[in-house]
Amino acid sequence: MTLEQSIQHFSQTTPDKVAVVCGDSQITYGALWQSITECADRLKAEGLEPDRPYVFRATQDINFLILYCAIHYCQAIAVPLEQSAPQDRFDAILSDVTAHTYSSDIADILYTTGTTGKAKGVMESSLALESCADNFITDLHFTPDLLFIISGPLNHIASLFKIHPVLTVGATVCILDGLKDLNAFFDVFSLPFNKFATFMVPASLRMLMQFSADQMAALADRIDFIETGAAPITSDDMRRLSQLLPHSRLYNTYGGTEIGCMCTYNFNDGRYMEGCVGRPMKNSSVTLTSEGGVVCSGRTIMSGYVGDEETTRQVLRDGCIYGSDLGEFDADGLLHLKGRQGDVINVGGFKVDPAEVESAASTHPSIRECICVADTHPVIGTVLRLHIVLSEGYELDKRAIALHIKSRLEQHKVPTYYDTIPSLARTYNGKVDRKFYKK
Amino acid sequence: MKQHILSLLSEALPAVDFESDFLFSELDSLGVTTILMILSMEYKIPLKATDATPKNLKTLDSIVAMVESKLSAQ
Repeated sequence: MTLEQSIQHFSQTTPDKVAVVCGDSQITYGALWQSITECADRLKAEGLEPDRPYVFRATQDINFLILYCAIHYCQAIAVPLEQSAPQDRFDAILSDVTAHTYSSDIADILYTTGTTGKAKGVMESSLALESCADNFITDLHFTPDLLFIISGPLNHIASLFKIHPVLTVGATVCILDGLKDLNAFFDVFSLPFNKFATFMVPASLRMLMQFSADQMAALADRIDFIETGAAPITSDDMRRLSQLLPHSRLYNTYGGTEIGCMCTYNFNDGRYMEGCVGRPMKNSSVTLTSEGGVVCSGRTIMSGYVGDEETTRQVLRDGCIYGSDLGEFDADGLLHLKGRQGDVINVGGFKVDPAEVESAASTHPSIRECICVADTHPVIGTVLRLHIVLSEGYELDKRAIALHIKSRLEQHKVPTYYDTIPSLARTYNGKVDRKFYKK
Repeated sequence: MKQHILSLLSEALPAVDFESDFLFSELDSLGVTTILMILSMEYKIPLKATDATPKNLKTLDSIVAMVESKLSAQ
């Protein structure tokens, strides 16, 4: 059953039940379905046709969900971009997606850096969305009495694909606009629900443990489960969270835009195995290449990249996704991730191609050349550092460079740290020596 | 103190305009966390998530007032 069919079903069986909460607003299943059909009528009147893409910014509110579902109800394709997407990026993606035709099974196109390190439109079928929801419902045990808190950006698979299982079982989703106001997060627990759950990237969990450990512990009996993923969580953070929430299920999930949700591991087991992502979920399968590359297959994987058959063939072969992750299975059949091939940097769950940051930064007049590398923030974990070779006559102006990059790229691609170097290290054939900077 | 805090925070978060009257709206969760970390370490004051309110982080002046309040409470 699709997300929209589920909402329609619950609009008839439990029309007065709250489906979505956002700040002071909330909407019942009955009102949500009515709003979706009304919105769909408007979209059709504006000319939206089946199998055509609809690009929009993913606002963190109830209107996002109404629009997202209405697009599907029109049998069109939802293309949500980050809320802060600069107009240039919006226009470029609009131009990209509208230049192609799509098969009738495509439901979403999500833009990601992901497996290839380059920004790509990933086509997700209805089957993939339903199968991801089924994986979560089966393996994480979503139940109708749950209130699930979504604080991450709704154009990102980790948050967007949580809406599906929540509303498919007739539970309630609470949308927060990020986690910068942690009080807003804790205020959610004053709502009249007995079971709460959420997804957070490891950096957000660490932030909560650093600044709100007491409040977390006080909620221990009401937090049914917390899922993390999209970036590695340390063994110490697993242990600390397990001590704060001894009775909660705490999952480390392996997934991605190209592969959907693949594996999950409840690390509240006293072992706190770093890198362990458990076993494949219901509709997923994982094997390894002879070099240890993780190969994913099953109903949750993508249909391909928009307008890029060559890259699609490189990544998607015979129904299997050959990504950049390395892993191994232990004797119990649990998958352990062992790192990643290539140059992509994972910043709080967002994959960043350093070349994209360098390209944007290099258009600033003070920068002769630069290299973007991973660095460590004491709480957030991996962040970006930009090593800069200054143009003659310029001094380092971090703020000007940061604002310059911010005007061109998403927020998570703006480096946190900046420094100057006299020249870039290069390989024997003159290319920038990225390995040198990984040391 | 205000100039010192401005210098500290601008160094750590160069893309943020700390002179803005709508500072909180400029921040993301990384920014809020960074501010809490820097101020708690620099002034040896206990800061919690409950301190990171839109009111306390509305302007640089409100951040200074929060620090002064924490210091006087010690």
